[in-house]
Order: sequence, then structure tokens, then C-alpha cells
Amino acid sequence: MLEPALRLVGIEKHYAATVAVAGIDLEVNEGEFVTLLGPSGCGKTTTLGLIAGFFPPTAGAIYLEGKPVGDLPSFRRDIGVVFQDYALFPHLSAADNVAFGLRMRNLPQAEIARRVADALELVHLAGLGERRPLQLSGGQRQRVALARALVINPTVLLLDEPLSNLDQKLRDEMRIEIAGLQRRLGITTVFVTHDQGEALVMSDRIAVMNAGRIEQIGEPAEIYEHPATRFVAEFIGRMNFFSGQVTTAREVRTARGLVIAAPVPLGIASGAEVHVAVRPERSRLCRDKPDAGLALKGTVRQVLYLGSTREFHLDLEGGERGLVEMPNDGSAVTFDAGAGVWLAASFDHCLVLPARS
Amino acid sequence: MRSTILSARWRANSGPWALLCSVVAFVYLFSLGPILITAAVSFNETHRSSFPPHGFSFRWWERALAPEWINPLLFSLKLGSLTALFSTLLALPLAFALFRYRFRGRDALVALTLGPLMLPTLVTGVGLLQLFQYVGWREYIGFTALLVGHVVICMPFAVRTVGVSLHTLPPNVELAAGSLGATRWRTLRYIVFPLIKSGVVAGAVFAFIHSFTDVNLSIFLARPGEIPITVKILGFLEFGFAPTLAAVSVITLLLPLILVAIVERVSGLGDFIYGDRDRA
Repeated sequence: MLEPALRLVGIEKHYAATVAVAGIDLEVNEGEFVTLLGPSGCGKTTTLGLIAGFFPPTAGAIYLEGKPVGDLPSFRRDIGVVFQDYALFPHLSAADNVAFGLRMRNLPQAEIARRVADALELVHLAGLGERRPLQLSGGQRQRVALARALVINPTVLLLDEPLSNLDQKLRDEMRIEIAGLQRRLGITTVFVTHDQGEALVMSDRIAVMNAGRIEQIGEPAEIYEHPATRFVAEFIGRMNFFSGQVTTAREVRTARGLVIAAPVPLGIASGAEVHVAVRPERSRLCRDKPDAGLALKGTVRQVLYLGSTREFHLDLEGGERGLVEMPNDGSAVTFDAGAGVWLAASFDHCLVLPARS
Repeated sequence: MRSTILSARWRANSGPWALLCSVVAFVYLFSLGPILITAAVSFNETHRSSFPPHGFSFRWWERALAPEWINPLLFSLKLGSLTALFSTLLALPLAFALFRYRFRGRDALVALTLGPLMLPTLVTGVGLLQLFQYVGWREYIGFTALLVGHVVICMPFAVRTVGVSLHTLPPNVELAAGSLGATRWRTLRYIVFPLIKSGVVAGAVFAFIHSFTDVNLSIFLARPGEIPITVKILGFLEFGFAPTLAAVSVITLLLPLILVAIVERVSGLGDFIYGDRDRA
């Protein structure tokens, strides 16, 4: 049986009164790019630190290629880390920064020189090896940090929000470059970010984290199309929510008594608290009541013109609020503020998520 | 161009500017004036310490370079250097413990380490003298006692500067070194130490200067033949201020200055003093 490159079993990390990581199980296969996505304070960076061995877990076990490493200090784990602030050694040149990990492994000079040159070439920094970190731009420092982590051929590469200190344009470039490099080298990677866009574009799988736990793990499309909880649905993309209680298999009644037709799954009994969820771009506006699917009556409060799309903010009956995003494809009928409309969506595009107690 | 004309006019009419100029003038007058007068007096030809000097001669300088003065000077240099060395060696682990970790008794240790900064050194001197006498280490009064006393009063300076340079260490570089395979010791050796080096050197220099200029503590712990230059000067003053003393003072003043200048050149101490450090 092939062991996963990285396996976390019941990992926990407690600090005095607070629980930073509250039990995480995760398997990352060889060559896979897995993203830990979540808001700040959700425990994603702490999880990364536990994998790197910067501090010991309070409970649980960590395996690298099947070997338990929970008791090993960071310098024995063979892990490459790129820090948010890069953490380059300011007194060493770019080349010496990259060479550091190889020198610590006591490799012969000639091999070090060759591998450092290759690594700098790989991140398009050939010729800049003699510069000090201070003499490099933000993007170049980032590349040095990446080369320094990659040159040791680590079992796992850990990236801690490496793009958050770059400007927008550079971030978009590096996002593609890092993902491309990762695929080309086939290096197992765990990436930490709070940026859903980065996560969707770069990852093989995304683990959405909240309050020290993984809420859902899956491929980007799966996470986006089938969020398992309200938290995940809200954190990735935008979502209309209508909360209420299941009355029958096809109806949900909101707190203010509005009855919504909804495709309640078999597993949810009547009486259960749920959220009916639909994406703004999967909703549409109708002048008349649609024949089937989700239908909520209301008026247009505000229209936002965004160029490629229009956003319609709606006041719906029963005090609910709604958002519909329509492509500006030239054909769509538009509605003005104050117009009476129906928010409509096919049941295929509606989710009924159990509310947490 | 226009702005320089404007600012020149502003300066000419500005009360604050005039005030600033006079304050600076006063500072120079009182800090450099005495030194220049002392230097001038040392070249007197007569026995009187007159200023401006009567005539010109090197006779007092000859006296100042006799063993009577050179020996205490060398003694002070040796004492200062060893004080700087031991203070720094003790300050390194202490600063790490105090500024890096939280532990029981940390506050007490901070008070114990930095406390001598706030105590009058005179009191520390009296206390040490009594300690050496009561414990029966009378024979150590002299160089050994002086060294112990100087380390006690000079180490806080070294702990402070090393502590400050630990604070300026970029975050995560130690973790980065660890992830690249460096043991704790090699991280210290290749990453931490090079980055705090100027702070360590600055601490050693401060310790040296503080030791070299101390008189309050030294006066109690010296003994004949083991006398720092400051105590020697103080003793000589009983017989009045002579041109010899002026020459000795100039030497005493210049020696640490030259030493600091050399250290600054060799180690790039300026980085630390002027706060202009490479950061990434």
C-alpha cells in the first residue's frame, strides 16, 4: 500500500486557555497540492507550524511518508518552508541563503554550487545570486525564499501565505508560477491562505478550516458547488441564505412565517433548522412568478453595474434580503430600482444545509 | 533655489533657530571647552597650571609617561578589557534567557541583573568591600575584587544592548534555519550571532568605557600597586592640580576614544549605534 506523503491523525494544539487546533485529520498524497483555507485565527498557520515541527502538538500524530515524526525537531524533518515574511537571512547573499540548507547537510562545495545555480535558475533569479535580500524587490525575495525551500528537495513543501505581501499584479503572476512549478516538480505541497481565489486556482484539494477544525475537504469545484456547511458556503464565493424550519419534504418556513418551496434532502427530518442556499450567479430575476423551482417575491433595492455583470440587491417578502448576479451579455432584460420582481432558481442549484446548534 | 532663499530668510528672522544655535553653542562650550583647556594647560612651561599656558614644553608629558602614571593606565586597560570580556560572556546567555523566555523567577532575575544600573556605584563599592572583608577574602582586594565589582556594574549595559539586538532580529529567521536543517547550535552560530554581533560588540564597548571611567567603586577596592588610573588621578588631586595631571587626563581621555574608534572600524559598530541595519 502506498503511504500518503503526509498524514495528520487527531492533531491538537492548546495554548494555556485557548485551543488553536482542535483535532485535525488530513492525508496529503505524493505530489498533491492541498490548501488550508480559513479566516485568521482558524488554526491554519498553527497546523503548518506543527507539520514543520516548530512546536510539538498537544495530542495526535504526524507521519511523513509513513514514518512518525511527531517527536523529531524541525531540523530533522526534511521540510521546506516559505514564510509569509520570507524570513530571509539579511546578512547573507541570495545565493548563500539558498545554499544554507545544503551547507547544513554538509554536501560537497561543487554540488552545493551546482544546485544553488539550478535553484536560482528555476525561480528566474540567475545572475542575482550576489545581491543581499535588502537589494531585492518583494517579488525577488519571494523567489529566493522559494528557491531556498526547494533546493533541499524536501518531502513536503509548506507555504504560509507567501503571496500576501505582494501587490495584486505580482500576486496573480506568482500564483500561476508557484502552481506551475509545483506541478512540474511534483512536490507535495501544503499551502496556507485566507484568499479563496488563490485556493480555488492553485489547489488539487482545499481544506476549509474554522475554529481549529477542518469543516470540509475536497476539490475546488466540489467545495464551491457542494459546500457542506453554512460556514463553507459563506467563506467561498457569495451566497443567498434563507433560514427556517423544515415543515414538509418540499417546504421550509422562515422565522417570520414565509413558506419557501425547497428540495429538502431525505436525511433532514421535518422540524429541523436549515438554511436554504443559492448562489447569486445561479439565481435569476423574473417579472412573473416562475413555474417551478425556488421563487421569492420582492422589489429591487439597488442595481450595481460592474461591467461584465450586474448585481441586483433585493428586498424580498418576509423581510429577507437577496442578491442576484446576471451576466452583462447584452441579451438580459434589466430591472430598475423599485421594480417588482421574483428571485428564481432551479432546485438543482439550491442547497439545503442543516443549521448548527 | 527658491526654497533655500526662503529658509535662509526664515532662519535669519526665526527665534527658535537662534535658540537652537545658542543651545548647541553652550553644549560645545561645556563639553569641549574643559578638554581643550586641559590639553592646553598640559603644555605649560611653568609649575603653575595657568591658562592660557606660559611658554611651551613637553616636560609634563614626560612625567605623565613615567611608570608612576603608565602603570595605573595599563592596569585600567587590563581591568576594562577583562571586564568587557566577562560582562559580555555573561550577558549573552542572560539576555537570551531574560528577553526570549518566560519563566518563574524571571522578574527577580531581571531586577538582580539590571539593578546595579540604578544603585549608586559608591554603595555597591562599600558593600563589596565589606563582603570581601567579612568573608575573609581580604587578600583578593585589589585586582580580583575590582574585576568582580566592575563586572557587576558593567554587565547591565551589555545585557541591555544584547537584549535590544535580540529584539531587532527579524522574526522567523531562526525557524527558517531550523526548517533548513540547522540544529539549535548551528542556528545560533550562523544566523543569530552574525545578526546580533554589532549589539554584542557595542555592549562590550559600553562595559569597557564604564569600567575605564569608574572611580566610585574602584576607590574602595584598589590597593597599592593595583590602582586604576581614575583612582590614581583622584589621589594626586590632594596635592593640587598640576600640569602633569593635565597631560595624564588627556591620555586617559584619548585612549578609550582611540580604542572605540578601532573597534568601530573593525566591527561596524556604527550600524548598531545609528540603527541602520540591513533588514529583509
